[in-house]
Amino acid sequence: MTRTLMAALATSALTALPAFAVEKAAVLDTYADIAEAAYGDSLTTAKRLQAAVQVLVQTPSPEALEAAKAAWKAARVPYQQTEAFRFGNVIVDEWEGKVNAWPLDEGLIDYVDLSYGGATDENEYAALNVIANPKFTLSGNEVDATEITPALIADTLNEADEVESNVARGYHAIEFLLWGQDLNGTEPGAGNRPWTDYAQGEACTNANCDRRGAYLLAATDLLVSDLEEMAGNWAEGGAARASVLADENAGLNTILTGMGSLSYGELAGERMKLGVLLNDPEEEQDCFSDNTYNSHFYDGMGIRNVYLGEYVRVDGSVVSGPSVSDLVAAADPAVDAGLRAALANTMDKLGQIKTTAESGFAYDQMLARGNAAGEALVLGAVDALVAQTRDIERAVSVLGLDQIAFEGSDSLDNPSAVFE
Amino acid sequence: MRLTLVALILSLASPALADTEAVIRDHILPGQAAFSAGTRALAEAAQADCTAAALQPAYNTAFDAWMGISHLRLGPVEEAGRYQAIAFWPDARGLTEKTLRRLIAEEDPVVNTPHGYAEVSVAARGLFALDYMLYDEDFASYEAGSYSCALVQAITADLADLAGKIEAEWLSGFAETLRSAGQPGNTTYLSAREVTQALFTQLTTALEFDADQRLGQPMGTFERPRPKRAEARRSGRSLRNVTLSLEALRQMASLLAEPPPAETLAAFDMSLKNAERLDDPAFAGVETPQGRLKVEALQQNIRAIRTAAIEEVGTSLGVSAGFNSADGD
Repeated sequence: MTRTLMAALATSALTALPAFAVEKAAVLDTYADIAEAAYGDSLTTAKRLQAAVQVLVQTPSPEALEAAKAAWKAARVPYQQTEAFRFGNVIVDEWEGKVNAWPLDEGLIDYVDLSYGGATDENEYAALNVIANPKFTLSGNEVDATEITPALIADTLNEADEVESNVARGYHAIEFLLWGQDLNGTEPGAGNRPWTDYAQGEACTNANCDRRGAYLLAATDLLVSDLEEMAGNWAEGGAARASVLADENAGLNTILTGMGSLSYGELAGERMKLGVLLNDPEEEQDCFSDNTYNSHFYDGMGIRNVYLGEYVRVDGSVVSGPSVSDLVAAADPAVDAGLRAALANTMDKLGQIKTTAESGFAYDQMLARGNAAGEALVLGAVDALVAQTRDIERAVSVLGLDQIAFEGSDSLDNPSAVFE
Repeated sequence: MRLTLVALILSLASPALADTEAVIRDHILPGQAAFSAGTRALAEAAQADCTAAALQPAYNTAFDAWMGISHLRLGPVEEAGRYQAIAFWPDARGLTEKTLRRLIAEEDPVVNTPHGYAEVSVAARGLFALDYMLYDEDFASYEAGSYSCALVQAITADLADLAGKIEAEWLSGFAETLRSAGQPGNTTYLSAREVTQALFTQLTTALEFDADQRLGQPMGTFERPRPKRAEARRSGRSLRNVTLSLEALRQMASLLAEPPPAETLAAFDMSLKNAERLDDPAFAGVETPQGRLKVEALQQNIRAIRTAAIEEVGTSLGVSAGFNSADGD
């Protein structure tokens, strides 16, 4: 009894057998090829960021800081499109926190404004300031941070004291080191770190410019090596590719799980809706750079990429092939048309936020209390993402994949025993 | 093998349909009515006497009513962030306290405008804002005529307004949206099966929330228990909320599947029995190994209900859980 037959039976109950068969294996190949290309592009652009950061630290100048910021923003474009691969792929989900964790208690890393406050009940090290302190005690251990290395950041600082907001690595730690805190609240404007925070000698502002430069270099090196790891996982022979290709229906389920989980719980809920409901610009994903609207936009694009089986690379070349959309259309054209329309609607709504933000109405302002236009823009995209999730569920159903999640229990043999 | 068999049954035989009407009539609508009435009584009580001690009974009645419907994350409550405005929790960044402190320090006039409070951050709205205002020693000693008194009146009025709108929208439209699934013009639910799946998703998602959040938050890790993260710990409702949630979910499960899902209901009964024996209202016991073990055991009990529901209710109805708002981080 093969799963293919099973699926065919499930499908034939709903519609006539398709005139041509889209090979599931070919669809999974396209998916893995897009992942390889998108993580590869993320690596390429992170290396450009690394080069720009090296220039900034070696020969600091206003231009060098601006160039590094531009390189960071460019690096986010392909990376955000990979987020559709995160949920469903265990290898990606377990790794993701190394590169894209947020929100962060940035006072762990560097100086902050007085309004930031100090240590909190939740995080004793929220204002540790590693850049200013070469030696400190962390969870009872003496730490020698005289030399700031990728290993120090990865093994000692990141998630220090088991607190998730102690984010010491990844895009957002680098973003903070380039932009600094955004102190504009729900007014326009991003972080405004002076280039002289990296200047040498007497020109240095806010002290410890050498250590700040060392931290920035180490964090960027770490980002590059983390992306190398993930790009390798999707190359021919890589573990993530092999995992997706191992079982056709489970692989398809992975694709749709990634699309649905990112659309609904993560992007619509955690990242977009909460910010508006809390009127809180710190709920912005890219809060230092004010680049949040782009991160949301490219998340949406990444979801569409994996469904349509097409990704435009950073050099303009195109990776494409047989897609989930082809499979769904063969099973039930109406479900495919519905999901395509929903994805297009989401891109329209995310595009409206992007164009508005780029024409001067900052994402921060959209979150302000009583800003009805901003709220309508953001919640419009939230509604579109929630609606597209319903269509993704229909695609799961029409492909006969919705019984795959059944699994056994790993509960204790007799949890009631402790009450005896 | 089991997977194959299940799929075959589903694809060859038409799955049994759920009793959606029973769920709407005997579970959802009475629950909405109770929450609407409970919050209205709370708002009226706040107008008469806003002080903390006077309001606590009406607050608890309203919160109890919320636990009867808090698992129903579909329809009117999902519009424009109403769910979060009623129940903003967990609150990892301490925003409820921070926002309330700011409103009180600034004596923000937003409390004086009718319906103006709906614009305030959800962190300072709804039940969890009231848990601070009525129980936290830093907040609860306010007097009649003070800013805090007006704040509590605004929060309770806003909450009653939300609950009333949600109930009205169920009665005037969304109940019919569920009932008319698959009929022309219904663009929300294209088949009865989609409604079944949506209701089933509420069941499994809420069980996950009970285990992972209501119990998991205070449990923290073995090395680092977090009793201060327990839900509504100031009013000592943490365990009561789990119990009331399980009772509501048990009722929904028993109505949803015909015949009633025996294994799932037995798993509910086991959890409810152990919850009753826990004797740790705000999960303060998680700081001791023995206390933590008991909470962890209840967590395992609840996860076992979820497993039973997926295998028994899900299979008999021919659905699996859809996506939920907890997917993601």
